[in-house]
Amino acid sequence: MLMYTLKRLLQGVVTVWFIATATFFAMHAVPGNPLTNEKAVSPKIWAELQKRYGLDKPLLEQYGLYIKNMASGDFGVSYTQQNRQVNDIITEHFKVSATLGILAVVFAAFGGILWGALTAMYRNRAPDIVIVFLVILGISVPGFVFAAFGQLSLVKVNDWLGFTLFPVAGWGTVQHMIVPSMVLGLGTMAFLTRLMRSSMLEIVNSDFVRTARSKGLPMTRIFRKHELRNAILPVITVLGPSIAAITTGGFVVELVFAIPGLGRYFVQAVQQLDYTVIMGTTVFYGAFLVFMVIAVDLLYGMVDPRVRLE
Amino acid sequence: MTTNALSFEPVRVEREVETISRPSLSYWQDAWLRLKANTRAIVSLYLVIGLLLFTVFGPWLWQVDSSAQDLDQISAPPGAERAVTVVDEYRPWQGATATPVAGAGGELQAPASLSVAGDATTRAVRLQWSAAPDAGGYRIYRSIFDTAPDGALGLPLGDVLDPTTVSFEDRLDLQPLTYHYSVVTLDDRGREATGYTSVPVEVTRVITAAQAHAKGLIDSADVVRPGDVLKLQMHPLGTDYLGRDMLARLMHGARVSLFIGIVAPFAFVLVGIFYGSVAGFMGGRVDQLLMRFADFVVALPFLLFMILFRILFNVQPGDNSILPMMVAMVVLSWPAVARLVRGQILQIREEGYIGASRLLGAKTNYLVLRHMIPNTMGVILVTLTFAVPSAIFTEAFLSFIGMGVAPPTPSWGSMCNEGLKTMLTTPHELIFPAAFISITVLAFNLLGDGLRDALDARMRATE
Amino acid sequence: MSAPPATLSAEAAPARPPLLEVADLRVEFDTYGGTVQAVRGVSFSLERGKTLAIVGESGCGKSVTVQSIMGLIPMPPGRITRGIAKIDGQDMLRDQRIDGKDIRGRLVGMIFQDPMTSLNPTMTIGDQIAETLQVHAGHSHRRAFARAVELIDMTRIPEAAKRARQYPFEFSGGMLQRSMIAMSLACEPSVLIADEPTTALDVTIQAQILDLMADLQRDNGMAIVLITHDLGVVARMADDVLVMYAGEVVEHGGVDDVFYRSAHPYTLGLKAAMPSNRTDAAQELTPIDGSPPDLFAPPEGCGYFARCPHAMRACEATHPPAFAIAGGHDARCWLHHADCDRDAAQVYRR
Repeated sequence: MLMYTLKRLLQGVVTVWFIATATFFAMHAVPGNPLTNEKAVSPKIWAELQKRYGLDKPLLEQYGLYIKNMASGDFGVSYTQQNRQVNDIITEHFKVSATLGILAVVFAAFGGILWGALTAMYRNRAPDIVIVFLVILGISVPGFVFAAFGQLSLVKVNDWLGFTLFPVAGWGTVQHMIVPSMVLGLGTMAFLTRLMRSSMLEIVNSDFVRTARSKGLPMTRIFRKHELRNAILPVITVLGPSIAAITTGGFVVELVFAIPGLGRYFVQAVQQLDYTVIMGTTVFYGAFLVFMVIAVDLLYGMVDPRVRLE
Repeated sequence: MTTNALSFEPVRVEREVETISRPSLSYWQDAWLRLKANTRAIVSLYLVIGLLLFTVFGPWLWQVDSSAQDLDQISAPPGAERAVTVVDEYRPWQGATATPVAGAGGELQAPASLSVAGDATTRAVRLQWSAAPDAGGYRIYRSIFDTAPDGALGLPLGDVLDPTTVSFEDRLDLQPLTYHYSVVTLDDRGREATGYTSVPVEVTRVITAAQAHAKGLIDSADVVRPGDVLKLQMHPLGTDYLGRDMLARLMHGARVSLFIGIVAPFAFVLVGIFYGSVAGFMGGRVDQLLMRFADFVVALPFLLFMILFRILFNVQPGDNSILPMMVAMVVLSWPAVARLVRGQILQIREEGYIGASRLLGAKTNYLVLRHMIPNTMGVILVTLTFAVPSAIFTEAFLSFIGMGVAPPTPSWGSMCNEGLKTMLTTPHELIFPAAFISITVLAFNLLGDGLRDALDARMRATE
Repeated sequence: MSAPPATLSAEAAPARPPLLEVADLRVEFDTYGGTVQAVRGVSFSLERGKTLAIVGESGCGKSVTVQSIMGLIPMPPGRITRGIAKIDGQDMLRDQRIDGKDIRGRLVGMIFQDPMTSLNPTMTIGDQIAETLQVHAGHSHRRAFARAVELIDMTRIPEAAKRARQYPFEFSGGMLQRSMIAMSLACEPSVLIADEPTTALDVTIQAQILDLMADLQRDNGMAIVLITHDLGVVARMADDVLVMYAGEVVEHGGVDDVFYRSAHPYTLGLKAAMPSNRTDAAQELTPIDGSPPDLFAPPEGCGYFARCPHAMRACEATHPPAFAIAGGHDARCWLHHADCDRDAAQVYRR
């Protein structure tokens, strides 16, 4: 298990290095350089800026410096807000995005497992049909539509109640977090429900559940110890990609609900072509996702003994 | 039952000869039969065909310019009132004046009365009010909501800083709605008093004969007289915030969205097939190396490359980036397909029938054409069907964050993006494109499910 | 033999009721194609310490019979339409699902055909055995686990204490089947139902598993219901044999009666289709032509009519009752009818 963990971590580091390298050369493959778009500036200021961002050095030296800085966790200075460190931006805004994302993942995973198990238990009866219909809807509706309608219905609900049950936008209190994270997790929840349902249907008819029944175990125990635990396995394997999907979806939800998260900042940086922020955030997100996938794989190893001793 | 009824005479039973009672079906015939039995998949197939017809023949049948603005009908929901009254040419209004009233001091009062002078039309709403004591001027507000519940007055239209003037003419972007006008008294230093006077005004839509002629509603400006009622141009699904016809935009948007949604998956599936089959055939070290590289590509951030390709294709902010979007999709989405195809090839290579065929002297070309390709086709077709909705989602997502299709080119994603801004007042601008995206994605998903069930029992969902 | 045909259950009437008694069990399944009558009136009984073998080809209703007794068939689509099954006087079809007092696992243990898939892959072997004891005997986990180690040891798995902490994927097929036996015997049931326990195993392992079952039976005095389609296994293990065909019992009797004095053409067919190492027998195997009847609409007469070399008019139209041949031996074949002018003895003397 230890060797496996170490191996996966090493692989993760290599992947992050690859992302960082690809990002660097992708950005420098662009004709001109990132400062070309700056408004007309005097040659002196131009040279000053060039120097400040290290753009006057040869490419390989820049690359070496970049990797060195990355490794020590320094992402440089923002182009558009020249007094801000990219690190500060990430540390300040990622907290918000991470909170939102974690809530959404938890909501999606628990919801998916619960609804999936429920549909399998009521197979082809009313609850199953209703949930399967909602799941198909959930998979087919884009995230930003959920976000928009989530906000719209919040406005209506608050209007109807006559007071603000959940704020329509912004961040800060628990009330701010609930609706955006639910909206963010909805698509993934639908996907996981579907997966859990087919997994449950397979497990319920499996030989070992029949064995458990032949042992005369109570229904609740069979469900807990035999069905649920095995049916969850495929759900865990897709949790990694789900986290990636939720991260991307977070950009939209942060935009719609005016949440000061890193995703919204990233989209802004993209629109303003703030290269250091784009590069820093990309590598940061890349690393985050790579290590989340590793964490999920290790978690899987803990649940499924067959992987543990690989 | 009595024993007398029994006869113990031996009989010869005709042994049933085992025959093949059904004509044998080819793989695709069998798949088609199974698909036909799946109602959901067939309905989805018709939906997909319908969407394609809508996209290809729609603009031909509904010949409305998708970028033409109908300024008389802005953000009109479907089925909105289209009647318009013909009026005379506009004549300027002198307004109303009053002698300033000296007050008894104390707090400033709002005007005692507020009324509309003449007809309230989309051309102009003329307000007049009674002078308030000690007033230094007035400020006029307009709101589409009733001001009563929360005292929010809405949009400040203008200030009248002359206490003798007690009238105001509103000509700002009037729509045929009920507006709530409010007047607040200002003191001589321009500060607002606390009270306000408010009046609801129902605005009727009007047009001059010349305008009607210019719009093509009538053949000649002479055929109508003031007071006649005409019908404005029809928009079956309403108009957007710039007065453009939604149906025409949805049709043109479908061309963009479905083009991206179908061409991009085709391209990356082809790349994936090529890469995956090379890896699968070569095997060994080459396979290892190729697949390791694919693993890395999977980890690459999509948005970054989207930005990169925008720059490479010299797309300025606010420009369309359909080509960079498709290139980014192809460059980053093939590894999943490659992995799948490689797995299939590796599996098929070990199958007995390949060995048998080879023993009979089959050449590699024959093996590939006769066995490998037909046996991976099912999986590839299913992957392609599922890739379409995800490409449509990607287009919508990118257009939504302003990196994909940019205005004025319509695409379903960019229409959603625009519709979001007016979601609270005119939700149809968001609902229609969102519904089109959802229905398309739904149809492709269900069709994919059906195809998977029909083509490949191994991949069959328990559903 | 002019007496009215006797039914199977009225056959032997011991003073004490038999340990396991099944009478006129009928099971149906609703499918898209219609209703399948999988089991059509099966009756048998079993005494303490004895082994009953149920034989027959695939799809004849062997497994459905025992699984419906155990309450393991999915309902719906399955349905038990008639019949009783009693163990020690307790009704098994009605008393199920009373928590803790469940007959399953406590009075009856069961092992299945494929040990590879019949154990929970995410639970240790020891925990899976201990679980039964925790539920039925109310043992603490520690105590139940200690007992589980003893049980694993009893099934001759070496290093039981270490093995108990391992997962199914770390076991071989034979060891998994031993663990299944340990699990089914955890609460010392009086009946063990073994549903093709050796079919999925290597031939050498098969013998070990059968020996183990026989030894444990001698020690515990439990009764065994053994389902198999392997007549070799029957000869080795069984006291009584039940031959099933198309959802019915066609012949029932002591193992020697059924083997050496077979009284049904289907039993003869099975024997002819089985390889044997007797030198005097013809070495060529004879398959039974044709296929079993469609159980969506079972034939009115004898189910074997279409494949029987001795078919008569009566067989086609009228369902044969069970004819008693000798004490404890009966068969559903019109050849045994008193009025049948063909001598049954001629047919069956082989």
